[in-house]
Amino acid sequence: MTAAAEPLLEVRDLGKRFAGRAGRDAPAWVIQGLSFSVNEGEFLTIIGPSGSGKTTLLNMIAQIDVASSGMVRFQSQPAPIGDPKALNPGLTCKIGYVTQEDNLLPWRTTLQNVLFPLKVQGRLNDETRAHAETLIKAVGLAGFEKHYPHELSGGMRKRASLIRTLVYDPPVILMDEPFGPLDAQTRVQLQEDLLRLWNLGRKTIIFVTHDIGEAIALGDRTLVLSRAPARVAGEHVITIPRPRDIRGIMGHPDFGTLYQSIRAQVQ
Amino acid sequence: MSTTQSALDLAEPTPVRWRQYAVTVGRILLALLLLAGWKVGADVAGPLYAADPVKVARRIIEDTASGTLLRHIYVTLRLATIGFAIGCGFGVVLPFLLRRLPRLTAAVEPYIMASVGVPKYALVPLFILWFGIDDAPKLWLVGLLVFYPVFIAVFAGIRNVDRRLINMARVVGASEAAISREVVWNSLLPFFFASLRIALPRAISAAIIAEFLVGNEGLGFLIENSRQNFDTTGVFAGVVVSTAVVLVINGVLVRLDRYFNAWRPVDRDMDI
Ligand SMILES: Nc1ncnc2c1ncn2[C@@H]1O[C@H](COP(=O)(O)OP(=O)(O)OP(=O)(O)O)[C@@H](O)[C@H]1O
Ligand SMILES: [Mg+2]
Repeated sequence: MTAAAEPLLEVRDLGKRFAGRAGRDAPAWVIQGLSFSVNEGEFLTIIGPSGSGKTTLLNMIAQIDVASSGMVRFQSQPAPIGDPKALNPGLTCKIGYVTQEDNLLPWRTTLQNVLFPLKVQGRLNDETRAHAETLIKAVGLAGFEKHYPHELSGGMRKRASLIRTLVYDPPVILMDEPFGPLDAQTRVQLQEDLLRLWNLGRKTIIFVTHDIGEAIALGDRTLVLSRAPARVAGEHVITIPRPRDIRGIMGHPDFGTLYQSIRAQVQ
Repeated sequence: MSTTQSALDLAEPTPVRWRQYAVTVGRILLALLLLAGWKVGADVAGPLYAADPVKVARRIIEDTASGTLLRHIYVTLRLATIGFAIGCGFGVVLPFLLRRLPRLTAAVEPYIMASVGVPKYALVPLFILWFGIDDAPKLWLVGLLVFYPVFIAVFAGIRNVDRRLINMARVVGASEAAISREVVWNSLLPFFFASLRIALPRAISAAIIAEFLVGNEGLGFLIENSRQNFDTTGVFAGVVVSTAVVLVINGVLVRLDRYFNAWRPVDRDMDI
């Protein structure tokens, strides 16, 4: 990829404030003057304090929420500003979104939830079904296919919602703290799986996390967001070469310096 | 046995089957008590004002054997079913259409809500005036009485749908029709069933009342006609049969509700 190539996703001077409500102060800007871009095939990690607008940012990129000012361009196509009716959520299945809440359909079983995107896209066949079953096994949900979401643990629901996005293979995936509620072992396992998958298909991934170690271990680049109104407080190219050994990443000589400089910016 | 062991034994749930039996036995006793009360009350009131359970049972058996009772039940059920289908259909479809038209909804909502307050039974004379004395005025009454609870529940249900689920479905490429079918419909099923608990018995009652006023068949006609002939046993038999019909329909409804909402934790673990 040459330096002159258009970035896949460009966010420039983005601003967002929510509609006010009677009896409250005038709405404040949640995001203001936020700019960055993402290249095709890049693994971008975003880190920022709670309430800094990370979810809001992903919602605007996925076009389920509308920006108030500035610009978001995906494949050179600008997203509408200020007009929720003109939104195209998921940009016709090109952007997958693993949301912070699992958003599983409570009346559908694990398997039905995972197959849901394929079903509504009319792509349910033996091959995609087999692929779904492979994914279910890979994230350790085998044997829970017929369970309803309320019969799964928080971490299991999270894994189910993760593979619901992976199953239809969107070229870009947004992930909002997907491994938050998992135990250390499962977490590392899934991080490794995700990296392997990314290495295979070279998807573009924007990955939001609270965990500095995770941001370094996974990303090509890490953006640090400031407290609201969110701007880019820092940008770090992760120099640690791939393939990476996640379990041993802390031992890498660059890890310590990266960790320190990122931590200094996250408040 | 060590103390920890006995503590564990105590923690084991004791069998609770006798409690279930206790409920059943209690229910039977209560039914017998009510029947006895009915019998005593009927004897005190005299045959002009009340019929005792034995006479009523005998009458029901006789009328069933002759086939007239089944005919009346059929006529009433047919009326209630068609009226219900119309009212329920509009009650479900209209909120789905309004979902897509928020401005129209805001405009018409106060009028719809105000029309809830119109006493529908008071409109029957008008319906007769407008639609004649065949099925039409009766269907209007049943349909309207069914429409309101269903419409209000489905309307509220649609407002309650989790936006995040709709967004998720949009992102993965679901069409608006697929979202209505999968996300919206399933979210409001509990609301819909709650409204049916009101609407179905209402459909039967409305059909019976409509038959008091118009026509010469049906359970309503049976009751009213018996009253005019001073046949109190016939009135009581009609009321008992009507109640039985409503109970059967409710039973079917509860089953359907359990089936469609089987995924819910509450419906399985609680016996309502
Ligand atoms: N629908 C909404 N209406 C009003 N304010 C909102 C809305 N959604 C989010 N906000 C506000 O926007 C700010 C950023 O929220 P956001 O969910 O994007 O934070 P976040 O960075 O994802 O936090 P966390 O790490 O805790 O998930 C918060 O102050 C929140 O109160
Ligand atoms: Mg968030």
